[in-house]
Amino acid sequence: MSPSMIPPVRALAMRELVRFFRQPHRVVGSFAQPLLFWIFLGSGFSPAFRMAGAGMERVSYLEYFYPGILLMTMLFAGIFSTITIIEDRNAGLLQEVLVSPASRLSVVLGKTLGAMAIALLQSLVLLAAAPFIGLTPGPGSLLMILGGFVLASLGFTALGFLIAWPMESTAGFHAVMSVFLMPLWMLSGALFPLEGAPGWLWGLMTVNPVSHALQLIRLPFYHSPAELLTHSGYLTGLAVSTAWAVGCLALALWRVGQVERGADPASAVGTP
Amino acid sequence: MVRVEQLTHVYPARRKQPPRLALDRLDLTVAEGTFFVLTGPNGGGKSTLFRILCGLMRPSAGRVLIRGLDLLRESAAARSAMGVVFQKPALDVHLSVEENFKIHADLYGVAPSDYRRRLDEGLSWTGLADRLNHRVGSLSGGLARQVELVKALLHNPSLLIMDEPSTGLDPGTRRGFVDMVRRIQRERGMTVLMTSHIFSEAEEADAVAILKEGRLLARESPARLRASLGRELLVIQTTGAAPLAAELAVRPGLKVQTREGEVRVEGPDMTALVQEIFLNRPEGIRAISLKEPSLEDVYIHLTGRSLEQEESEGTRLSGGGAP
Ligand SMILES: Nc1ncnc2c1ncn2[C@@H]1O[C@H](COP(=O)(O)OP(=O)(O)OP(=O)(O)O)[C@@H](O)[C@H]1O
Ligand SMILES: [Mg+2]
Repeated sequence: MSPSMIPPVRALAMRELVRFFRQPHRVVGSFAQPLLFWIFLGSGFSPAFRMAGAGMERVSYLEYFYPGILLMTMLFAGIFSTITIIEDRNAGLLQEVLVSPASRLSVVLGKTLGAMAIALLQSLVLLAAAPFIGLTPGPGSLLMILGGFVLASLGFTALGFLIAWPMESTAGFHAVMSVFLMPLWMLSGALFPLEGAPGWLWGLMTVNPVSHALQLIRLPFYHSPAELLTHSGYLTGLAVSTAWAVGCLALALWRVGQVERGADPASAVGTP
Repeated sequence: MVRVEQLTHVYPARRKQPPRLALDRLDLTVAEGTFFVLTGPNGGGKSTLFRILCGLMRPSAGRVLIRGLDLLRESAAARSAMGVVFQKPALDVHLSVEENFKIHADLYGVAPSDYRRRLDEGLSWTGLADRLNHRVGSLSGGLARQVELVKALLHNPSLLIMDEPSTGLDPGTRRGFVDMVRRIQRERGMTVLMTSHIFSEAEEADAVAILKEGRLLARESPARLRASLGRELLVIQTTGAAPLAAELAVRPGLKVQTREGEVRVEGPDMTALVQEIFLNRPEGIRAISLKEPSLEDVYIHLTGRSLEQEESEGTRLSGGGAP
């Protein structure tokens, strides 16, 4: 990070935000979709839902599902922000950024920070629903929830960045989203708890980094900051999510630095 | 200003596609403060050279020096000195004209005070002053190109490179665009390297290079290129092109080319030939013209094909081509 990076990062992040708000259907969709999902699925499953874990027997499905919906907002915000990489490349905007003297790090940070800002805005709006289902985290816990948002959103956006970078069409990205990204979320404990899942599923869910990101968002609703700092589940979540975000960001940075190279001159057969 | 030394680029093999040689030990120098036009048949390697110059690709071999800076080693410094206009417009259509300018200025680290001044200067060249708040998506093709030009000059580059910047513009707008570039280039003493298929644009240039199969066929001033063709060029439009060409081709000193319904003859004493043809074979001949060679004639002479031929091939190969 150097001071000269601030203008390009700010410009690229602002572009994400401005574009987001200039597309009203995107704004409406991104706020309404998680809300509808939550209310319909949450209410529909509530009667059938019995929480198995200790101390959570009283939790309604609406409440159980709530942190998962917050996480889904992060996931979708990350996906929709990075899908624009493909559009930008086809529109020549990416090339214009790449030929500028702006550093590769500012390209990656501009995108991820812009996406994070959008994700945070959406989740803050959703967070206003917490008191209605009886969740009233204190200021310390609230800060930790926000920290969870930041980490999860960085992780999702950087992952989306990696997926979108080499892609030529948005259709490819949608395919990856439905067979890879959505299942990651579904198997994170967002929809149903790990406890009670069949063994193979439980295995998948435990190694899924998104499960750990969910812990960062769910646990602060039920524990004070002091408790969290000694909570093994929370600390594991913190470690996994940090490693995930940093790892994906590093890979994204490496990817952006990769320039198409000419092949060995000897390999060319004949003239064009 | 720009020195390209022994530049070779081979596109790596892809599925069902062998490696492709696009630039073949190319040497090229563009002098400081000149307006340089690069032309040549489709697939000649112009865009490949352009992508290497702006740092989007690394060549297989060779060197590029920009103001003495090695592009491949000191790329950030070399890039700051360079303004780039792509063949495809690179503007964010969701944003206004001014927002596009601002992003560019931030990417190139232009100080706010310089930004205002350069923007005013840029607006004085163009008809954009009252369009600053308009969305780019609402501008005509010609205005959008002007936005790109002003944008590419906001960081005051000493080198402007453009890949076919005038494609998609109507002839009048195109003319206006090139005149604008030429004027700014003179005013600022900037170096401009631009690829083009339009010969009227090349006539304006200080130097023209023709690139074919990754090699230079010629690199001269337009006047010298024309002179290289000999003084005069005889174009005969006739229904019997083939027999006429065959007859003329055997004569010493004449260079004869045919294409659909047309025979082109270069040689020393064209006036006598006109008289002779006119006396002997008036049937089938629709028009005879004796003309000072244009750059297009030079191009046809050097590459052995006409622009129309090339364009139809180009669209066939790329399965569509630019609208
Ligand atoms: N991405 C690519 N992968 C493989 N081969 C390529 C690629 N781009 C261009 N080529 C090949 O490299 C050669 C030079 O192409 P280039 O695009 O540089 O030509 P050009 O002079 O710009 O042509 P045009 O006038 O049509 O724009 C051609 O043979 C082309 O088929
Ligand atoms: Mg080209």
